[in-house]
Amino acid sequence: MSNKFSKLKSFLPAKRKLTLSERKARRGWFFVLPFVLGLVLLYLPIVVDSIVFSFSTIGRKMDPVTNLPYDWTEFVGLRHFKEGLNPSFLTSLGEGVVNLIWEVPAIVIFALFVAVILNQKMFGRAAFRAIFFVPVIISTGLMEAVNAAGTTADAGGIDDGTGAASGADQFISMMDVQMLFSNMKVGTGLVTYVIDLVNSIYDIVNFSGVQMLIFLAGLQSISPAIYEASRIDGASAWETFWKVTFPMVSPMIFVNAIYTIIDSFTRQSNVVMKTIQEIYDNTSENVATAQAWTYFLVVILIVAVFAAFASAFVFYQKRDS
Amino acid sequence: MNTSKMNTASPNVKITRRGVKMQFEGKISFKDRLLMRLTSSTFWIDRVWYLFRAILLIGLCFVILYPFFTKIFTSFMAYRDFADPTVNMIPKHFSVEIYKQLAIDDGYWGILLNTTLLSAGTALVQTFICCMIGYGLAKFRFKGNKLIFIFVIITMAIPHSTLQLSMFQHFKNFDLFTIQSLNWKGIVQLVRGEPLSLLNSFAPFFVLSLTGLAFKNGLYIFMMRQFFQGVPDELEESAYVDGSGTFRTFFRIILPLSVPMMITIFLFSFSWQWTDGFYTKLFYPTTTDVPLMLNLIQGVPDALMHQSAYQTFYQEAIFNAGGLMIIAPLVIIYLFGQRYLIEGIERSGITG
Repeated sequence: MSNKFSKLKSFLPAKRKLTLSERKARRGWFFVLPFVLGLVLLYLPIVVDSIVFSFSTIGRKMDPVTNLPYDWTEFVGLRHFKEGLNPSFLTSLGEGVVNLIWEVPAIVIFALFVAVILNQKMFGRAAFRAIFFVPVIISTGLMEAVNAAGTTADAGGIDDGTGAASGADQFISMMDVQMLFSNMKVGTGLVTYVIDLVNSIYDIVNFSGVQMLIFLAGLQSISPAIYEASRIDGASAWETFWKVTFPMVSPMIFVNAIYTIIDSFTRQSNVVMKTIQEIYDNTSENVATAQAWTYFLVVILIVAVFAAFASAFVFYQKRDS
Repeated sequence: MNTSKMNTASPNVKITRRGVKMQFEGKISFKDRLLMRLTSSTFWIDRVWYLFRAILLIGLCFVILYPFFTKIFTSFMAYRDFADPTVNMIPKHFSVEIYKQLAIDDGYWGILLNTTLLSAGTALVQTFICCMIGYGLAKFRFKGNKLIFIFVIITMAIPHSTLQLSMFQHFKNFDLFTIQSLNWKGIVQLVRGEPLSLLNSFAPFFVLSLTGLAFKNGLYIFMMRQFFQGVPDELEESAYVDGSGTFRTFFRIILPLSVPMMITIFLFSFSWQWTDGFYTKLFYPTTTDVPLMLNLIQGVPDALMHQSAYQTFYQEAIFNAGGLMIIAPLVIIYLFGQRYLIEGIERSGITG
């Protein structure tokens, strides 16, 4: 009997053993399990509820049976969006997007520049690095609020506490730059751009810490052999930067640009975020949620457009495999 | 190519890594060598660059540190200094009144203890969890890997205010897998009968940290993933060949390897939790029970109230002093940790 069966068995396809890579892939789920659980059990419900809240109002109702109050959500359609997308919100949204357009290139270029400098060998490099990363650690969250309060009180930016606006962040005056540019026949747009840039150097330095770290890491990962080869071929420092360093860090530029867009959009001190927070605290939480969802769509759209456009220019060094 | 003009007898030119080296027959005098250096263009270009670089870096460091200096100086001013127009930056009458009153009024030591517990706890959890998730995303090619990564990025990109209301509601009536607006009964409600309120406790922070959903965790997961992608596969493979399982490999080989990177992430999560105002406000609608750092910059102690025109400036100084008291412990930690912060990133080889 058993012989028969064993013969039969040999005709059946053998139960396939999982290959090593398949077994390994399965274990991958274990590592991402906390996130997946959180996503499914907590985060996605929160997101769905948030979408529902932007289309509805929460009220309290009396339960006729138990006579206890309970939360009741009432669908109100696009009312919150109609109310939320008022001219003042749209103005601040436009302002936020315009801010972003000049802020992102400024932050990324500045971060790259400083990272290249901090990557060079020099006296006191460790001290400089330590100081440059102070804002990442310290000037966030509550300190942003403290700093912002200082700037609104006297419109002079950095405050010396004596009440007289020190104007210390006004590094150059409008006049100086206008005089410099007046001979060059450039538009006033560029002049104001440069002035804004120089005067907000404090913000730029403060917001580019993580980007600097990522660039530093990228610069460190470039093989010295490439630099050596280019030096032997007689490339100048300038050429080396544009033909070696720049393409090699271009993936990091891409990542940093996207990070900067997201970071400056979701920062508490952002114009739009402030507007939404004000609406949330004072007017209606649901309207604020509707505004925030509109805002998120704008952010995602900008990120997607940028990513589609910029990914064509990124150079990936093929890993030897 | 570097072609220097030489008037002396033709030298034996050698190109090395450092530049052009010339060997002359016989010895050249110190004077000649100095002259050669001073007349070469690269020497001067280098000097000018060094000078420019030094000025630039020192200037930027000044920009970074100046606000802290002004805050420190004004916070030590006595009240009468604010009414004195001759006082600028440097206090005339040194006083620690502001600090004393703030510390007494808000219970600084309690705040310090609570915040340390909260920040250190969540930072440890976040560091480990993000390390795990990053490792899973980087090293295992399972189905859905990319999708999960996209979700990680999306959690980073959703502004806080979008989820503010709904997150508050979900932690007020904490439940798993529930959509409140549709009156779904979640797991907690099925087991316990009613949802749990987690407000006014550390629990929401830990729940979010344990699932890699807390503030900026998307960034940490991303950094960890990039870091692990740079770790050669051969390392794990040789461990597997030697009979080590996946988890043992993770704990014995991968974790020790990623310590520098984990310190970086710990520093980030610790300090960002420390200075966080948003989630603290959200999960602590009443701040009296467990005082946190937020209390230091809310309101002015009664003892520091003056009826005078200079009160606004004084209040600002109080506000600044509160800010300084918030960051003072962080500065100390940063002084010890900054070396690891940069080293960790340097060794990580994060790529795009």
